[in-house]
This record gives sequence, structure tokens and C-alpha cells, in this order.
Amino acid sequence: MLCSAGIPASTPSSASSTPSSPSPTSSLSRPEKRRKTAALFPNYSPGKVTTMRNPQPSDSILTVLPVDLLVQILDRLPDTGDRKSCRLVSRGFLRAEALRRRALRVLRREALPSLLRRYSFALESLDLSPCPALDDAALAAAVHTSGGLRTLKTLCLARATGIGWRGLEALLAACPRLEAVDLSYCVGVGDREAAALAAAGGLREVRLDKCLGITDVGLAKLAVGCPVIETLGIKWCMEISDLGIDLLSKKCRDLKVLDLSYLKVTNFCLQSISCLGKLEDLTMVGCSQISDEGLRFLKNGSNSLRSIDVSRCSNVSTLGLVSVIEGHKCLQKINAGDCFPELVPPFLTMLGDIRHTLKVLKIDGFHVSASSFWIIGMDCKHLEEIGLAKCKGVTDQCISELVTHCPGLRTVDLTCCHLVTDNALIAIADHCKRLECLLSESCSLISEKGLDRIGTCCSDLKEVDLTDCHINDTALKCLSRCSELTMLKLGLCPNISDKGLFHIGSNCRKLLELDLYRCTGATDGGLAAIAAGCKNLKKLNMCYCTQITDEGLKHLSCLKELLDLEMRGLVHITSAGIAAIAFGCRSLVELDVKRCYSVDDASLWALAQYSKNLRQINISYCPVTDMGLCKLLGTLRCLQDAKLVHLMRVSIEGYELALRASWDRLKKLKLLGGLRHFLSPGLLQMLKARGCRIRWVDKPLVLGV
Amino acid sequence: MDPKRRRILESTTKSCAQMVGDRSRNFNPGQPFIQCNTTNLCYGGKPEQTFPEFPLDTENQSLYQPEHEVKGANQFKPIPNVNNAILDWDPRLVLSNLSFLEQKIHQVQDIVRSISNQEGQFSNRANAMVAQQQLVTADLTSIIIQLISMAGSLLPSVKNTLVSTNPSVGHLGSIVGAQTSSGINGGQQQNEVMRMEVPKASAYDDLIEGFNGDGNEGSELINGLKSHGNEGDELIKCLKSSEGEGTESVPVEDHDVKDCDDGVDGENLPPGSYEVLQLEKEEILAPHTHFCTICGKGFKRDANLRMHMRGHGDEYKTPAALAKPNKEASSEPALIKRYSCPFVGCKRNKEHKKFQPLKTILCVKNHYKRSHCDKSFICSRCNTKKFSVIADLKTHEKHCGRDKWLCSCGTTFSRKDKLFGHVALFQGHTPILAVDETKVSGISDQVRGNEVMNGIVGSMDYNFAGSTLDDVQILNDRGVDDGRGCFSPMNFDACNFGGLDEFPRSAFEVSESSFSFLPSGSSGFIQRSGEN
Repeated sequence: MLCSAGIPASTPSSASSTPSSPSPTSSLSRPEKRRKTAALFPNYSPGKVTTMRNPQPSDSILTVLPVDLLVQILDRLPDTGDRKSCRLVSRGFLRAEALRRRALRVLRREALPSLLRRYSFALESLDLSPCPALDDAALAAAVHTSGGLRTLKTLCLARATGIGWRGLEALLAACPRLEAVDLSYCVGVGDREAAALAAAGGLREVRLDKCLGITDVGLAKLAVGCPVIETLGIKWCMEISDLGIDLLSKKCRDLKVLDLSYLKVTNFCLQSISCLGKLEDLTMVGCSQISDEGLRFLKNGSNSLRSIDVSRCSNVSTLGLVSVIEGHKCLQKINAGDCFPELVPPFLTMLGDIRHTLKVLKIDGFHVSASSFWIIGMDCKHLEEIGLAKCKGVTDQCISELVTHCPGLRTVDLTCCHLVTDNALIAIADHCKRLECLLSESCSLISEKGLDRIGTCCSDLKEVDLTDCHINDTALKCLSRCSELTMLKLGLCPNISDKGLFHIGSNCRKLLELDLYRCTGATDGGLAAIAAGCKNLKKLNMCYCTQITDEGLKHLSCLKELLDLEMRGLVHITSAGIAAIAFGCRSLVELDVKRCYSVDDASLWALAQYSKNLRQINISYCPVTDMGLCKLLGTLRCLQDAKLVHLMRVSIEGYELALRASWDRLKKLKLLGGLRHFLSPGLLQMLKARGCRIRWVDKPLVLGV
Repeated sequence: MDPKRRRILESTTKSCAQMVGDRSRNFNPGQPFIQCNTTNLCYGGKPEQTFPEFPLDTENQSLYQPEHEVKGANQFKPIPNVNNAILDWDPRLVLSNLSFLEQKIHQVQDIVRSISNQEGQFSNRANAMVAQQQLVTADLTSIIIQLISMAGSLLPSVKNTLVSTNPSVGHLGSIVGAQTSSGINGGQQQNEVMRMEVPKASAYDDLIEGFNGDGNEGSELINGLKSHGNEGDELIKCLKSSEGEGTESVPVEDHDVKDCDDGVDGENLPPGSYEVLQLEKEEILAPHTHFCTICGKGFKRDANLRMHMRGHGDEYKTPAALAKPNKEASSEPALIKRYSCPFVGCKRNKEHKKFQPLKTILCVKNHYKRSHCDKSFICSRCNTKKFSVIADLKTHEKHCGRDKWLCSCGTTFSRKDKLFGHVALFQGHTPILAVDETKVSGISDQVRGNEVMNGIVGSMDYNFAGSTLDDVQILNDRGVDDGRGCFSPMNFDACNFGGLDEFPRSAFEVSESSFSFLPSGSSGFIQRSGEN
């Protein structure tokens, strides 16, 4: 429950299978004590362990098995939850797990030292991104007690806003084999942190998205320090300019993947980049100063580009893209969304040059015609993904021209192609048997007729977006034949009733994500069907499904895997329903109960008691009081994002106390603008110093849904 | 353009605008308009001279003491215009007069030089010095009187060609040509002339630029301005062309011409297609090359000299006199002139195998000073950089101390791109974060660290669930007992600075050497650079 491999969802399921799991502290302290009494193999060797016996006699057969056999057993357990159960009941399994554990995702700061100490033997991947209130001191101390993470290769510190260069230096010094670091969205990270990264010379993959403090100098340090770098993401690092990119491309000759999105770089940097012989993937979303002239450098350059993304580059036109294709005949992926509106003939003819390799083509927002689709279809027979979101002029004829020649299509994005009707769906279903993803938001002309064919022919379908398509229960029944469905978005389909949801619940058992936004026809019965059928559901949106009551929530409370629950504006639900959710859905990470006018302190107490993993909460407009808020913010150790707008019964002191109780872990906060002048400056300063971003909103108080 | 010049320019344009606003007042025809400039030469205007040299006027007011104006107005009476008196004059006669004047000036120079020498020798004996000075003053006076008489003989030779073309220019011409000869009446006067001449020339140039900048508005007045500006253009042309090669638009300073030292590299003149001149060392190092034949003042540039000469009489104000002298002779195809450095063995010396000629005399001077002279100008700020050309020093001083771009090898750069070019060139070199930046971030990190500590205490206070904290936190907690005060803003501030020392120590206890909270600051960087 304090850690999990891969996804956090596995933790609660395993927790439920253990006899004494409700209190996390007790489960923590036991291995803790064990650790102190018996120092566990820092220098483990298999030969030693075979002779090692559990000092305490036990009647379990597991105690007599050597550790290497236990490792074998663990390896044969595919489910992380089951493995967790094993190590919770047996000390032997705990040791075996420590020897074979490769990945670790830490959810609590308190557990970090003991976890690192236990799993430092073979750990290769460490994810600290969900760990709240992590700071330099705690990190350094934990790393120190672990005695070094010699095998660690991947480190994720995304959104760890409390981490600075000291913590990084300490961590990197302990991880000599580190290859990948992710510091994305640590907005405070600057050149010193980059310099600390550069000290770990062997880095191959570095992600620095939105590290706002990094300048050319930091990038230069990184480039000089890590010459073997292969993947670099510096999206949103607004201080980086052509100079830094130029130096980067001179120093890091092995660069394969580069993300420059939204930088203020000019064509000059493309000239430098064009010399990177190994570059395969270049992403330049929203680089408005890049123009065709710059792309021409790529044409003559020595890159081995496989994928180029120039979406939202407002100064790029077809000609620029044509020149890129001219220089790179092996392009597999082109994303030119929202950059130039016309599909001109030169571009279409150039597509013929890469007909054998092109797999992904995204041309969002273009003006298209049937003839151009005919050319695309004829040329690019190996197309696997086509993105046509917001394209003007996409008709049934266009789609049929395209799909008749592209049987391999797996993803079709028709978002906001308003002219598309059932005929297009039928064409897709007839030709693309391997379709996995169909996004048709706002295609209001499609109906059960088309979806019937889709449901019959495309049995591999995994993701369907039918938001705002006004489909009915019959359509859902047709769709429910796709038993592989993992994502289903049915927002703004008020015609859907419990009947349709029953079909989904009974057939789509692999569903992970369901969106019922403003499906006002859905009631408790539908939720019962979903909860009974889709046991693995992780994300459920039922905002403004106003008919839902506490009864429905009680049905949902059996969804152990539920991570994200949005139920804005459910005026009929009360604290009893929330309490049921809190008690049942232990892995809940995000909860939105905005405008649930009957949700009061009792629900917050329940959440504080049971939802230990809650990271984001929105309780705006709820009639909670000082007590509930303080309890909630003070208790939830993982809470990092709180939206607290228009809490009418909470006093200034209440806000003050609650925020002071949680200031070290809050990363995002949404408050009413007026509070800015009432909260003490010291508190705000503390929050800011910790990297917490406060969004002040000035909305008038309007009650109602 | 240095700030001072810029300011002058701005004030000029401003004054122009002001003038436009006040035109009704200025255009009052019945009002006599008395103008003067810093040289105390009074440019008296007649009542109908509606548009006098107002920029000069405002310019001088802003630049210099207003008492000049008062004095000028009192001392010199406006003298009737002599525009229409077109008199023939003999160039030969003038030339002989001028050469005579030149000799006289050399005499003056010798005397002054002897004064300076004697000052050096008898600095302790005040009486002797006074006697010497009196003697010299007497000599000077006699020479000056001679000079004045000579200059007076030159006076009638005024030829104004501009009058016929444009009325307003005519006005200007009349102003420029207004009599000033009586202004020169004593040694004190001459000294002032000498002192003021250079700034005046530069100011004039600026004025003209100001005119050009302002000359686009449509009123009649502005038309006048514009035509005035046209003449200004001509003047500028004169100035530029007088530079010989036209490389410089700023006639006073040497700064911007530096590049022309090597500027000849680009042109590949075949040997023999140009005439090679070689100046002697003394000639090159002489401070001035152009001397006023009347007062003996030396100038670096011919144009400045011509500007100066205007103060000596109307005859120097004609376009012919102001024009670049060798321009008249340009009708015949002139052989391109290139220069050789007198230093034998230098690549710029004509004896050299790969001789690369220098383009202008200025290039010769700068080259010779830079390459073959001692670097006698030392930057007063860093006390390390030395220069032989004072303009180089001035350029350096502009940037000295601002080399904030550091490389790990210890090299400093004033520009980021230069640093990055350097880093790109050398393996293992890396930029260093600016020192002050490091300090700042170090402090903020300390603050942050303390807040972290406070926060741990704070979170314990509010630890409703009572979950356990690990040993480290408790240890840290012990380290910062006063962190409890963080709940009032005042204490929060106090903690930032008061609790600084306790935190690192506690951290050291925990993490030994692997983790240091001490702000490493610049020392760490020095160490690192040492490794490289």
C-alpha cells in the first residue's frame, strides 16, 4: 500500500486481500521493526541465502523454501496485487521481492527511506512523481540510508516541485548507472539542477518539460556533461534559444528524439539540428518562429528522421513539409495539425514518395476534399493512423476513398467532422477490420446503423469516443459487442438510459474508462450494471447525471480499481454516498464533487479516514465547514491539488489552518481571488516557496447546476 | 554612438520641435534676432532674417554656459551682410598668404612648446615662470596681431554661391556668412576658439542630423528647415568625403573606424593597380595632421579643420571652402592610393612577400599603434587590459567588468554567443553559471531549506492522523527547535535568516559528506574549473 509496481491501482486490491490492512502505519511499522532487528542483505549473494533460514519458527511451508525458489514463485505471479499479498504474509516473500524488484513507485514520503533500503538491491526504475512533500532533505536522507542505488537506470521526478539541485546531486551521486531522468513540470528547476544532472554523465534520456528556469547555460551544461544523450524533451523551457540548441546539436551527436515544442527558437536552430545524423523524432509543436526556410535545412541535413511534428507551427506551410519529405524518404509519422489549412497537390504527390513507410498522418484542421483523400488512400496503403480532427470538408465519400485502400488503419480520428454519417462508419467497418480507436466526437449524424456495423466488424475496437453524438441505447447495444473496449466516451448523450449501460456493463468487462458527462438518462440502475460488469474501471465521469443518488454510489463502491471519479453537480448525493465510495474505492486518486450541494463535513471525514491515496480533490461549492476542511487537508498525506472555491461555510481561519496543515505537499491550489487579501502573507509565501501554484479565480457565486 | 552624442542629438531634435511650436514668436519679423555660438563668434542677423540658426542656438544653450551668449551679444555688433558683395579673388594670393600664416603658426607653436618645457624645468621657481610667461605672451600677441592683419587681408574674398538657389538657404548662408572677423581680437579669444572648436564641430554634425530627422513635417517653416537640412546634407557630404575614404560618419572620434584596419583584406587589388604610400613613423604618431593656418590648432581630420576654419572668417564658409579639397581634382582618373606600414617585416609593409596594403591613413595609424607601439593605455577598472589606441580602451571600458559569461576554463566573455562558440569548440569546457546568480540561488535554496524544516515541524503540529515520521525527520526536528514559530508571518521571516545555521548541521549529521547544504557558491565552481 505504500508502494506499487507500475500502477498505483494495484495497491488497494492487494490491501483488501490482506487481513489487517486498514491502517497503513501499522503495516509500515512491522517491516520497519524487522529491518532494525535483522539487517537485510545489503551484500546479498544467492549462495548465502540458500543457507539462510528464517529465525522465527513458523508452520508455513514458505519458511523452509530457499529465497531463490521464492523468487521463482514470485516471478510466476503476474498480478502485482497478488505479489503484494504474498509479501505481506510472508517474510520470505518479502526478501525474495527485495531481490527481484525492478520498479518502484513511491506514494508516501514517510515510506521512502525504508522502501529504498529494502529494494535498493536490484531496483532499476524509481518513480517519485506521486510522492507528496518530497524535498531535498528527505530525498537525500532516504538515498543515504539506502546505501546507494547502484542498479537504478530510470528516475522519474515529474512534478516533484520540492526537489532542488541539492537533492538531485545527492540522488545522482548514489545512482552511478542512471540513464533516464524525468524532471517534467518541476517548474522551479533551473540551471543549477541541470548542472546537477550534467554531473551524472551517462544520461541517455532527459525530460525537462516546463522546467521554466532552464536557460541556454543549463542546457549547455547538460549537453557537455551528457554527450551520449539520446532523448531530450525541453518543451516549454521558454528561456532556451537557438544558441543552446546549436550547442546541443554540436555536443550530443547521438540525439535521436528531440522535443522543442513551444520554444522561441528560429530557423537557425534547425540548421544546427539538421547535422544530427541520428535524429529520428523531431517534435516542434507551436514553434511559431519556425518557417519553411528552416524546414529546408532539414531537407539537406543528415538526419534520419522517422517522425516529424510541426503541428501549430503557424508559419509552416505545405512547401516546408514537402522539403522535409524530399530529404527523408523513410518518414513514418507526420503531424501537421493546425499549421496550414490547404492540402495542396505538391504535398499529396510527395506523400507518394514515402508510401511504403508512412504510418501516421495527422492533418487536423485542414480543408480537404474527396480527391485528396483518394490520393492519400492510393499512396499510403500502410497507413495505421489518420487524424482528421476539425478538418473541413470531410464527407462520407472522403472516408470511403481513404479506407478502401488503407485496410491497416487502426486509429481514425474524425473529431468534429460534422458531415460524416453512418455511411462513413460502414465504410470504415467494412475495410478496417483491425480498427482499435475511433474518435468521432461531435459527429452528430452518426447513429446506431453505423455503430452496428462497427460493432459487428471491428472486434478489436478498444477506444471509442462518441461524445456529443446523440446516440441511443440501441447504438450502445451494438457497440457492446466489442468486448475489448477499454475506453468509452458517451458525454452529452442524454438519450442513453440504464438499458444501454446494462449492455455495456454486461459485455465490456475490460472497460477502464467511462465518460457519462451529462448523460442525464443514466440512473443508479445503470451504475449498478457498470459496477457489476466493469470491475477494472479506473476512470468514471458522471458529472451532471442528476438522477444519480447515494444508491448508485454504493454500487460503485465495489470498484476497487477506481482512480478517478468525477461527479460534479450530483445534487442528490449526500455524505453517505461519498463515505461509501471512500470506504470502497480505496485507490481513489482524484475526486471531483464540485457543486454537490448536499456533501458536507461527514464526507470529508470519511475521505480523510479511508482515501489515503487521494491526490486531487475538488470540493468547490460544497457546504463543508472549517472542521471538515482542516481534517481533510491535515490528514490526507498524498493530497497535492485542491480546488476550494466558494466554500461558503469555511471561515478565513479555517482556510488558514487547513492550508498551514498541508502547505508542504500542496502543489496546486484554486482559491477565490478575494482570499488573497485575507490569508496571511506568510502562508502564501510558504506555499509559493514550496512550489505551490495558486490559481485565484474571481467567479461570482451562482448556485445551481 | 556614445551616450553623450545621443543626448545631444535628442536635445537637438527636441529643440527643433520646440521651435516649430514657437514659430510665431520666432518669426516675428520686427524682432532682431541675435545669435551666437560657443566660439563667441556672433552670427548677427538682420531683422528680415526670419529663420536663423536656431538649432545652433538651442544646442549651445544646452551644451555650454549661457554667458557666452551674453558676452557675444555685448561684445560684437552685428555687421551688415556682405552676401551680395561678390568679389573676385586670386587663389594664388590666398595660397601665399596661407603659407605665410602657416609659418607664423609654427612660430607660435615653438613658443608654446618652449613654455611647456620651461614649465617643466622651473616648476619650483614661480617668479621665473611668470617672467617667462609674460615674455611668451608678448611674443604670442605680436604674432597674433600679424595673423589678424593677414586674416583681415583675406576677408573680402567671400563668394556665396548658395544665395541664388534657395531663399531660406540664402538666409542661412547669410547667417553663416555674417561677419565675424572683428571677433578675433586677443589671445584670450583665440584660446577660447581653440578650446571650443572640436565640440562645436561635432555638435554641428549632430545638428544636421537632427535636421534631417525632423525635416518631414509639412509647414512652411519645416520647408525652411528642410532646405536648411539640405545644406546640412551637403555639409555632411563634405565632412564624409573629407575623410578621404568615406568610412566614417562621425568625424570626431576614432572608435568606429577600427575595423578598417583590416578592412582591406576583402579587396583583392592586383599589385601595381594602386599607388603605395608610406608614411614615416613620426608622421604616423603625430597627434594631428591638419593644422589651422591662422591659429595653429591641430586637427586629426581635414573636415574638422574646415569646420574650424569657418570661425576664422566668411571666406571659409563658402561651399567651395567647405568642400573636400581633392574632390575638385577628381575629374581626372585618380590612382587608388594604398598605404604601407613603415615597420619592416610587417605584413602591411610593402617589402613583405604577402603584402596587404592598408586602406586609409587612419588604418595606418591604428595599425601602427596596435602592432608596433607600446600599449600605454591601461584600463582603470580591471588594470590588466592594455591598449595602444585610446579608442580601443574606450570600447573596452564600455564592456569592462561586464564579462558575465564564464567558461570552466576561466575565460570570460562579454557575450553569450561568444561563450557558446568557445564551449562548442573545446572538448570538456562548459559554461559556468554566473557568480551572482549562484549566490542568489544559493540563498533562495537556503531559505527553501529552512522552510522545509519549518514545514516538517508544522506538519507534525497538524498531523491529525498521527502517522509516524521516520527517524530523519525527527532528527531534523531536533535540529530546528525554533521552527515552531513559522505560523506567524513575522517568525516565518525570522526563520529564514535566523535558523540558517542549524539546518546544515543537522543535515550533515544525517547524510555525512554525500549531501551538503552549505552553499557551495563560487568556490565549488573554482574547484570544478580546476579539474578541467
